[in-house]
Amino acid sequence: MSLIFEKVGKRYPDGTIALTDISFEVPRGQFCVVLGRSGAGKSTLLKCVNGLAVPSEGRVSVDGVSVTPRTLAKLRPQVGMIHQSFNLVPRASVATNVIAGALPAVSTPRAILGLFPKALREKACALIAEVGLDEEHLTRRAAALSGGQQQRVGVARAFMLDPPYVLADEPVASLDPQTSIDILALLEREAKERGAAVLCSLHQIDLAMRFADRIVALRDGRLVFDGPPDALADGRIRHIYGSPRLETSISRQAVGA
Amino acid sequence: MNGATNIVRRGTPDKWRFPTPFGWRTVLVAIVAMAILLRTGADVDIGRAIVQSGEGVAAGAGLVEDSQVARGFGAILGQMFPPQLAEVTETARIADFDPDRLPLFAHVETQVVTVQSLDPETMRMVARTTQREVLVEPLGYVVQVAAKLIETLEIALWGTLLAVLMGAPLAFFGARNLSPHWLLVTLSRAVVSLLRAVPELISALFFVLAYGFGPAAGVLALALHAAGFLGKFYAEDIENADRGPQEALRAIGANRLKLLRYAILPQVLPQYVAYTLYILDRNVRMATVIGLVGAGGIGLELKGRYDLYQYAHVGTILIAIYLLVLALDQLSSWFRRRWI
Repeated sequence: MSLIFEKVGKRYPDGTIALTDISFEVPRGQFCVVLGRSGAGKSTLLKCVNGLAVPSEGRVSVDGVSVTPRTLAKLRPQVGMIHQSFNLVPRASVATNVIAGALPAVSTPRAILGLFPKALREKACALIAEVGLDEEHLTRRAAALSGGQQQRVGVARAFMLDPPYVLADEPVASLDPQTSIDILALLEREAKERGAAVLCSLHQIDLAMRFADRIVALRDGRLVFDGPPDALADGRIRHIYGSPRLETSISRQAVGA
Repeated sequence: MNGATNIVRRGTPDKWRFPTPFGWRTVLVAIVAMAILLRTGADVDIGRAIVQSGEGVAAGAGLVEDSQVARGFGAILGQMFPPQLAEVTETARIADFDPDRLPLFAHVETQVVTVQSLDPETMRMVARTTQREVLVEPLGYVVQVAAKLIETLEIALWGTLLAVLMGAPLAFFGARNLSPHWLLVTLSRAVVSLLRAVPELISALFFVLAYGFGPAAGVLALALHAAGFLGKFYAEDIENADRGPQEALRAIGANRLKLLRYAILPQVLPQYVAYTLYILDRNVRMATVIGLVGAGGIGLELKGRYDLYQYAHVGTILIAIYLLVLALDQLSSWFRRRWI
């Protein structure tokens, strides 16, 4: 029971090579951080899992089922996703945004009429409480929330179907340091409670070290590190992040600037 | 940060050329535009329109003795005002007229009518005076116009409703990011363009032939044209909606209809309400026009009175239409404030 990348390569139609020969396996329950600079291919790697990007080489499989256009409809509900810019519907209420995470489990006519089963409605309330929001937030528009609160709604939405895998694409990139820690702690807690694996892309090394069970690092689309956070020594970091000049800015970030 | 080093420096900032708001290209465009305006202006006789309007204004201000425009408007306006309020009917022409049971607020008047006629024996003009009894309903014509106005409003309302019902699926299939197949996109865009290409007044002509005189033809004519408009604008909004929420719901496996309902509709709804209100407004105005070709509503009444040279009646109708459009404006701006 795991998420497997086998020799995955991705080349965009314009010739850009995003990923080259990526192979690794994420077992259920693991918090795996994908580390790398902007443009290293982290986002593309994550998107290959739920078909938002299609690998040009190799294959991705979820619990032994490879990701193909035919299996996507079945696989997608098993892979939750949290987005960098939250991707909530700004004008819709928190309640609607969260319960939208259960759309695959509801028939289309019922969904269109907004008739969600009681079990799902209760579950949405429970999740909204778990991520630290209150009943008063239910009817509030997503746009009226702070960034941190919006990502809490994003987390709640991602766990509506209790997926065994959750993708988090730079979930805290637009949040302040303390909020970032809160959100990642929340994500970790929700995942561990359900035994779900998290594949989370980050560019902040300090956060990666703090939350990851395991770190996978990309540089220019290639896997340059795969191991526990402790094994990520300074020399490795330089290798991941390239130029030494950039590294100073990274270490400044690591201090918590 | 590191990007800064890539910029090739040429000279110090005091040597830089700051972008100017316009240059020789702007001048060229202005010259070409001027040439086009001069040529097309001559074609549409814009010079005469300006000169005659000027004369009309001057005549209105008493500076010029005579003006064709002022005379034309003056003649019509003079007959339009005061507008017709009462309905006057000869009692002899009313079947089962009962002087003891008059309609509300109505009274009977005796009019003296003098008719000049030629006496065939003496070959002279003779003034012959007759008396006739008429029933006067003080606001009778206003009530009639109001009833026609309500019918017009009903035509517009149904035209709008049917347009929304037809435009929504056209938009769904015509939006590239939702449509199940690109052929459907092309097809529905072709249909939408066709619908918009046919003006209401023209399609009303044909609908009157097919469905007969009356509001049904009007409703269909308005609905088809407006469906073309809404189909296009709804689809454009679907395409321009923020992709983030759509990606989020697609990622977990929501189908197109769920995407539309949960990721797109909440974003575009205010705009949709605005478009639909505009269409309602437009349909009210157009519903007054399509009556001219027999498709029901107040236009039919307007045309009839105009053809009978009853300009006072025409005045009443025009004022009524203006008041209706004004009221609708108020209603839709209230609606916008309240719901958007």
